[in-house]
Amino acid sequence: MSKEKPAAAPKPSRPALSVDPRYAGRITGVLLGICLATALLLGVVNQITKPRIAALEKAKKEAAMAQVLFADSYEETGFTAAGVPALYRALSGGAQTGWVAETSTGGSQGVIEMMVGVDMEGQVTGVSVIKHSETPNIGTKVVADPAVLNRFVGMSRADGEITVNAGSNRFDAVSGATVSSRGVTAGVNAALAAVGGQS
Amino acid sequence: MNIGKQLKEGLLTQNPVLVQLLGMCSTLAITTTVSNGLGMGLSVTIILTLSNIFISLLRKIIPEQVRIACYIVVIAGFVTMVDLLLQAFFPDIAESLGVFIPLIVVNCIILARAESFASKSKPLAAAVDGLCQGLGYTLVLLVMSAIRELLGSGSLAGTRVFPVEYAANMLAMPVGGFLTLGCLIALMQWAQRKVKGGK
Repeated sequence: MSKEKPAAAPKPSRPALSVDPRYAGRITGVLLGICLATALLLGVVNQITKPRIAALEKAKKEAAMAQVLFADSYEETGFTAAGVPALYRALSGGAQTGWVAETSTGGSQGVIEMMVGVDMEGQVTGVSVIKHSETPNIGTKVVADPAVLNRFVGMSRADGEITVNAGSNRFDAVSGATVSSRGVTAGVNAALAAVGGQS
Repeated sequence: MNIGKQLKEGLLTQNPVLVQLLGMCSTLAITTTVSNGLGMGLSVTIILTLSNIFISLLRKIIPEQVRIACYIVVIAGFVTMVDLLLQAFFPDIAESLGVFIPLIVVNCIILARAESFASKSKPLAAAVDGLCQGLGYTLVLLVMSAIRELLGSGSLAGTRVFPVEYAANMLAMPVGGFLTLGCLIALMQWAQRKVKGGK
């Protein structure tokens, strides 16, 4: 069955687009003016808040470091690896007492950032979560519960990598929060690996 | 201008969430704890009031064709300022609200009030409108987060009411947000019909 297409109707001619240059200038000018004024205000607010935000962030990190491995001062080593954005030497009375690794590993809802303290024998001294976005009442049973995080204390790489719910160097996942448990374990493993590579 | 009428509209008869059904995303996402609900509600109220005032002041200057772009620049400017100020002075609130503060930019309550009210009204009326609509939003967030925190986590504003083991964890999760919001909207519809003298 062949059907001939009806002859296309002549296209209606569009009216030529004409913009009054003065009007175009006004639109652009107003938008530009509003943007400039906003940018200026934002710059001012940023100048006021920037030092405070940086100081708060630093204080938070230092508090977390002191919690996992108390020391007089912490010295950045400049070492970085996958999952370990920063590694610090913990110094007390001029001598090194251990390491603190900042870790960043994937949890169930996003990145889990932690501080992991490791002593000179390569044993975990403490784990503190700085930032996470795990599900309330599920993932938080791991990342926000010091009793669970403290189960890592004393673990080391001498017995091999820490594995979740398996192996001899075992971390028992919190029931229902296996993915968050794995994320935290991956962070501790990354910290131990980073420290192991130093000495 | 009638403050009593605007307040009644914002809180009840024209409630932005329960009647206009605007800003659902943030409503569902952040109402897991009362402190989150309060922080978010007040942030939106402040931003809404400020953006309403400024859009009303600029209403004779902003050309019709680029009005949406102008509104968005003004709103985004205020949101970023509030975000920076929260981070610097209320770090706890900023942390628990996380990405939802920057996302206020795309909260349709603010754009809707700019388009339908502030761009046609005097600054004082626009300010009152922003305040009333913001309070209506805050009220819904408070009611929702109180229900979800109490039944879902067994606490209220961070104070434990009953052990977490007895809580219906489902309510703290996204599905609980939908259920709570659905029930509240149904309740609102019922109440409005009752007042009108219908069935």
